[in-house]
Amino acid sequence: MKIIYTNQNKPIYQYKVVILLLLMLMSLSACVTARIEDNRVGNTGINDGEGIVILAKSYHLGNDTETDFIKCVSSTISKGSTAIRVLPTNTFKDLLFPWFEPRTAPADTKSLANLLIRSQVRDVFQSQNLRYIVWLDGNTDSSGGGGSMSCAIGPSGGGCFGFAWWQNDSKYEATVWDVQDTKNEGNISAEYSGTSFMPAIVVPIPLFARTQAKACKGLANQLKIFIAG
Amino acid sequence: MNTKYILTIFSLVIIFGCSSQVKIDNPNIPKLLVNQMPYDVAIKYPENFNNFLHEEKVIGKKTWQVDFSHSNKLLFNKIFQSYFKKVTVIESSEERLYDNFNFTIQPSIDATEFSVPEQSQDETFSVWIRYRVKIFDHNGVEIINWPISAYGKTSTTTFSDNNDLANAAILAMRDAAALIILQLEKTNKLALSAKQT
Repeated sequence: MKIIYTNQNKPIYQYKVVILLLLMLMSLSACVTARIEDNRVGNTGINDGEGIVILAKSYHLGNDTETDFIKCVSSTISKGSTAIRVLPTNTFKDLLFPWFEPRTAPADTKSLANLLIRSQVRDVFQSQNLRYIVWLDGNTDSSGGGGSMSCAIGPSGGGCFGFAWWQNDSKYEATVWDVQDTKNEGNISAEYSGTSFMPAIVVPIPLFARTQAKACKGLANQLKIFIAG
Repeated sequence: MNTKYILTIFSLVIIFGCSSQVKIDNPNIPKLLVNQMPYDVAIKYPENFNNFLHEEKVIGKKTWQVDFSHSNKLLFNKIFQSYFKKVTVIESSEERLYDNFNFTIQPSIDATEFSVPEQSQDETFSVWIRYRVKIFDHNGVEIINWPISAYGKTSTTTFSDNNDLANAAILAMRDAAALIILQLEKTNKLALSAKQT
């Protein structure tokens, strides 16, 4: 009775081990090199209840910052022990429509000062208790790939053989404007690069260089320090 | 029976696999944060404003169909209701225009274009909409004829091409709203025309 029980469960146990092993391999990631620099111009600081908004620089200026990246930075800044309140980008744009659309958004602090002359705009900033605007610029690119991989499938099964790699580069810059005195307080630049690999011996095992995710975390944490002063 | 069933599924896969339909039903156009002008205006929409459809075949790829539904009407209602004190939408062609109002506005669509990642060779969807806004004074004299070239762009997200294109179209519509407001705030033609009455 005992032997039958063991034999019946052995294949299931083996499958579980294989799946676990595959998941572990899939969760592996390639190495990433990082560089973060901040260039402080003025003094910063944030009081209780004050918030910030994170916006992408206009695509009319050739910027391609991904919406997911902005969401990631906003979410990381608003979490943790040193969290800062972040007003969601879309809520901010809707409240101030049409003054922060890609075509109308202020390109410099002088334009922001001009915009704040409008009492309705000023009222929104005051009612939302917004202290800083953070402008994000940059994107993530994949380039310089190589290698080859071929996959085949037949009646008895399938598989892939080969090796491929490509380069991931994430370059972002955050510029911090103080709404209170309409001043540019400085900027933080983040550069993350790494090479993703995909070896395949029957099963392809992707080893991604998660540059964008790491740039998000690095930039968000640095922004928290920068804004806190 | 089985063969018919398989053939129907096969035909549907072929038909829908080669085309994508995007419907912009309720675009998010918030109230505009502008100073209201003390004018009584009428808006006369062209017939196609309630069901404007744009179809484009990407060479060698699938056909995209963008159904703007009544969203253009929503857009212009929102713009002009925010900017003017009193707005009347003229539904019937028999209603009297011009002399009952300070101004009569006739928006229309000149052209629509879009590009998908297969065309632009990057991970973005872009939409261009060229509107035209004509404004007539109380005598029916055309005082304004503006082409409004609006543009919207979104980056691709996984498995939601239709949503990405719809979002680019909504951004183009929001861009049109911004452009129209900038033009209205800049022109002195409305104030001059109103003074003469």
